[in-house]
Amino acid sequence: MKFIRLEKVSKSYDGEVILDNLSLEINTGQFFALLGPSGCGKTTILRLLAGLESVDSGKIYLGDEDITNVPIYQRKIKTVFQQYALFPHLTVFDNVAYSLRIKKLSRDMIKSKVLDALKMVRLSGFDMKYPRNLSGGQQQRVALARALISQPEVLLLDEPLAALDLKLKEDMLIELSELQDKLQTTFVYVTHDQFEALTVSQRMAIMNEQGDIEQMGTPKEIYEFPVSRFVANFVGSTNIIEGKLHIAQNSYNVEVEGLGLFSVYTPVEKFWMIPGCRLFISIRPEKILISKKPKEGFANHLMGRVVDIIYYGRSTQYRVRLKNGQFLLVFEQNEEHFPQESIDFDEDVHLYFQKENVVLLEH
Amino acid sequence: MRLLNRIFSEEYPFVLSCPALLWQFVFLYIPFAILAIHSIVDYIPEIQSYVLTSVYYVQIFNSLYFKVILRSFFLAVLTAFICFLIAYPVAYYLAMRGPKKYKTFLLFSLILPSWTSLIVQVYAWFFLLEKNGFVSRTLQALKIISPSFHLLNNYFSILLGMVSCYLPFMILPIYAVLEKMDKRLLEASADLGADKYETFKRIVFPLSLPGVYAGVLLVFIPSFGEFAIPTLLGGSKYIFWGNVIVDKFLRSRDWRSGAALVIIGIMLPIFIMLVGYLVSKIRTAYQRAAYQQKTNGPKDYWT
Repeated sequence: MKFIRLEKVSKSYDGEVILDNLSLEINTGQFFALLGPSGCGKTTILRLLAGLESVDSGKIYLGDEDITNVPIYQRKIKTVFQQYALFPHLTVFDNVAYSLRIKKLSRDMIKSKVLDALKMVRLSGFDMKYPRNLSGGQQQRVALARALISQPEVLLLDEPLAALDLKLKEDMLIELSELQDKLQTTFVYVTHDQFEALTVSQRMAIMNEQGDIEQMGTPKEIYEFPVSRFVANFVGSTNIIEGKLHIAQNSYNVEVEGLGLFSVYTPVEKFWMIPGCRLFISIRPEKILISKKPKEGFANHLMGRVVDIIYYGRSTQYRVRLKNGQFLLVFEQNEEHFPQESIDFDEDVHLYFQKENVVLLEH
Repeated sequence: MRLLNRIFSEEYPFVLSCPALLWQFVFLYIPFAILAIHSIVDYIPEIQSYVLTSVYYVQIFNSLYFKVILRSFFLAVLTAFICFLIAYPVAYYLAMRGPKKYKTFLLFSLILPSWTSLIVQVYAWFFLLEKNGFVSRTLQALKIISPSFHLLNNYFSILLGMVSCYLPFMILPIYAVLEKMDKRLLEASADLGADKYETFKRIVFPLSLPGVYAGVLLVFIPSFGEFAIPTLLGGSKYIFWGNVIVDKFLRSRDWRSGAALVIIGIMLPIFIMLVGYLVSKIRTAYQRAAYQQKTNGPKDYWT
């Protein structure tokens, strides 16, 4: 199987190090997302893959072929640019036909391919329009058709949906993953929006501000089992609590100052998990049950007072102050039209969560 | 205050352009209309009345003057073309390749000569090219030209003066367009498989055409009516449109045929541009029709 591999790649601009000894492997035929905060170097990775920039050191492979020094116009990697970069003086047809004209294909061949490509992105009948007369979503599709028409091995997407409104964004995300499913081309999708990355990708990598990859895995792995405080915080929202680890007869407990002991669970033992070490625990807000009445069957129980309520429609977010002064976020699904108990400001509440839902993170 | 606010709000852009329009109207359009009337109306003393006449136009078309207009036209086209050939690489280098640090300085030094009077610039060439001038002497010393060869007073020296005086007016608009150009388009082109030459041919050049058109107009229009440069650098060998007009109005005081000469000279480029515009319109309409006919036709026609 072919894959894209970056090997110990370094890159700096004007003396500022963006990527330092970065290695990354992306399997082909996948929808791969690179998620990271702005300025973390994810766009630089894309530009290196596309050939828009050259590496300072390190190698880039596409399959077994070393493409580190292959010029951009000979790579079988195409890009959908952030602001689409459609050619304003060319019609939609000519924009899409661009790479075929460069290859000097016959007129009839070009025509049939372009019309097929436009059909694929649902833009039939738009061929004689100019980009300036298209909406953002339509321009986006032209850029897709233009990049995909030469059947590249890899398609790079640089924050392609950043300029679209939320509803259109959701539609395009579905369309993109359907397209990838159909073509089986490798899509590498760069974004700072965790929602986009979680929605479309089969695998994703999380980069931190220093330009290092913190974690790679399926969206579910990354959301449920973040390996670091950064990942837990960056993907979704979470509650981070600092504590001290106690291990007794294979059961793990975390002692938190002012709150007592929590019983926790870890599927894998890490080297740093030694009795008495400081650590963080992360609990997702939706994995905490909030109630005014006491409940049974939970490993962990806390008391607190509601200080803030935000109604989101499908869920409600509560901010609860605990005994030790720390705040905890809790999501509650709005399941009923007429809730049996309604929780209000300044009310005392019970909070419950299972020990399996706690993630242990290195200090 | 409220009145001022209203005037400067976007509802009344017309009010703001009024002073300029008035100025143009009084000092350009009215004199021009008077000139046009002069060229077609004649006073006949015998009947003590004004009559419409085309006699001055017929005169010009039958005389050498029309040839002079064509010669001026050709010189202006040639000047614009040579300016374009020289200016494009310069503008391209400045906008795309030039060292960022010195860009302003380089641009400034290009524009600087055009801050001096045209006559001064032309005289500078005059002293360089004249028989005992620096250029002539150097070329003679290098045995490239014989001592009897004149660098001055020929078509070449006129063209040299024209091009050097009008070059900045070609460089600036082309530079402005290239500088503004979205560089991501070049990246997109390379990404889609185009090398530098293809990118230039298909993206950079077509997108810079507005700048080229502006430059061509800025160079063509003044050089069409230019009379100082041909007089100073061409001696009395070559007579151009501008020279004839000066002669008609200031020396022989033949205002009516002078006016006709002006009108013809102005109409000629307008006429040519109009024809060019119509031809391009018809061509695109034809291409579009042909394309649509092909796509709407039976599918197996092109598959």
